[in-house]
Amino acid sequence: MIYLFQLMNGIGLGMLYFLLAVGLSVIFGLLHFVNFAHGAFYLLGAYFCFAVFQMGFGFWVALAVAPLLVGLLAAVTEASLLRRIYRLPHTYHIIVTIGLALIIQELVIIIWGPIGSSVPAPAGLDGAVMLGSFIYPEYRLFVIGFTALLAGGLWWLLEGTRLGAVVRAGSESADMIALLGYDIKRINTAVFALGAGLAGLAGALAAPIRGTDPFMGVEALAIAFVVVVIGGMGSYSGALIAGLLVGIVQSMMTTIWPQGAGMAVYLAMVLIILAMPRGLMGRA
Amino acid sequence: MTSINKPLFQFALAVLVAAALPIFLSSGTLASEVLIFAIAAAACNLLLGYTGLLSIGQGVFFGIGSYTLGLTLVHTALSPLIALAFAVVLGAIVAIGIGWLAIRRQGVYFVMLTLAFAQFFYFLAYTFSGITGGDNGLLGIPRSNIGPLRLADSWTFYGFVAVLFLLVFAGLQRVASSTFGRTLLAIRDNGARAQAIGFPVRAFKIAAFAISGGVTGLAGGLHALLIGIAPLANIDYHLSESLLIMTIIGGTGSLFASVLGAGFFVLVSDTLSAIWPRWLLLLGVLLIALALFMQKGIWGLVERLVGLAAERRSPAAQTPADRAEEPR
Repeated sequence: MIYLFQLMNGIGLGMLYFLLAVGLSVIFGLLHFVNFAHGAFYLLGAYFCFAVFQMGFGFWVALAVAPLLVGLLAAVTEASLLRRIYRLPHTYHIIVTIGLALIIQELVIIIWGPIGSSVPAPAGLDGAVMLGSFIYPEYRLFVIGFTALLAGGLWWLLEGTRLGAVVRAGSESADMIALLGYDIKRINTAVFALGAGLAGLAGALAAPIRGTDPFMGVEALAIAFVVVVIGGMGSYSGALIAGLLVGIVQSMMTTIWPQGAGMAVYLAMVLIILAMPRGLMGRA
Repeated sequence: MTSINKPLFQFALAVLVAAALPIFLSSGTLASEVLIFAIAAAACNLLLGYTGLLSIGQGVFFGIGSYTLGLTLVHTALSPLIALAFAVVLGAIVAIGIGWLAIRRQGVYFVMLTLAFAQFFYFLAYTFSGITGGDNGLLGIPRSNIGPLRLADSWTFYGFVAVLFLLVFAGLQRVASSTFGRTLLAIRDNGARAQAIGFPVRAFKIAAFAISGGVTGLAGGLHALLIGIAPLANIDYHLSESLLIMTIIGGTGSLFASVLGAGFFVLVSDTLSAIWPRWLLLLGVLLIALALFMQKGIWGLVERLVGLAAERRSPAAQTPADRAEEPR
């Protein structure tokens, strides 16, 4: 029974990892930009959720507002700063986004202090579901259901809509998209905001489960990288499968060997790189 | 290239820095810290500046060096020199392992993998707290004498570090200017072409990783010897990040640039963190400014200033041949 419980936790965690990784992946796919500030957007999502909740607006408002705010902030950053450095080598992308992540992390500490806080599960979802002898927190079930819906919506957005087609075409040839009359700058900004907003949403959803702390961004960044490395960059299904895999491995390990749970994820990554260097769904 | 990038001149500058630190700093510990991080940053630069490999996992080798030295000195009565040798060897071995795995992927994937390995080793050290001390770090590392050298004295220790620093600096310069180093440059500039010519690119990259890992391990070992503990922070992501930042701030054009970068980082963080604990905010701003306006770092600025001064002194000395060479 404990394994089923942990499996469910793993799926919920894995879906959050998927949201993180798919944002990173989409940004890289279109902009060829390595976003080391991705974890910082996750961090902001969690803290915005916490702050809006503290103001008394309730969790649902917080869950809606936090990712939007993160996305807006990301859009402003992209349009004012990142746009200038796309033409530079990857090294400078990394340096600028590391700088951005440092700034965000320090601002979070200045505003909310260095010690983490907990965010209670929202009213109405703070109970538990009982199925026979199996008891599971309602909020975690909600996270699984909500992220599954979202994953479907994202898939439709990227595969079924005009915007998705433009984004996918843009990742093949940005020049071609520009020639066809699309405003590539606006698409870049929108995609960056979308990716960052997804990270923010993952952070907001995670807040009632794991609480907030100013250093949660680094961990999230590393996990997002692991998921992308395992799944294959730019692959939607790869991010989904790898996200779930990483979440379930981590969650199961907390039952089997709690101290080793942090390490297990990275060990799994090493094994997969040995077996298939391109990742599960990576293209050559 | 300008004469300031000649190996001999760079070495002279390194000697100058090692000699000048005791004059300008009142703390032997702080001065030692500058040179220890200069060693680690130069090793990072060998990868980034000379091989084109951006590794966010340098903290792994630093941490491995710290733990190796710590474990050796806590559990045995061996000389610190032997413990440092262990740190170098283990740093190099782990670097070969990580290099062997991470170099399977290129570009951004490689960077992501080095970060993932950094996390892996962090959790490894955290998990096996019986060996590493976990959160508390490995405590009580003795700083025993080496022959007649009383290392417990902070300036004597500085002298010891300075000698090692100069040896490592000269060694890395030899590596960089050897055929091996030139080949690394070729790989950096065009890996595919180097491969096509017949160079075993992967082996060269792994070799560069091994050298960098060994040297970083030495720095990590020295750092543990300096502070008397091997803290978990020595294998943390933030240490990897700091080493990379030192390298970039100094500039990737020359090995001495990393010494400047490390000196800047250590001294500024020492000064600012006492005034304002949130100084990392300023560091973030500086990094962005660097990428936008000063991509060659402090050393690039020095080069430009020296170039301007040389031009002003003898405008006629610039022959047409020089001018033709410039826009490469």
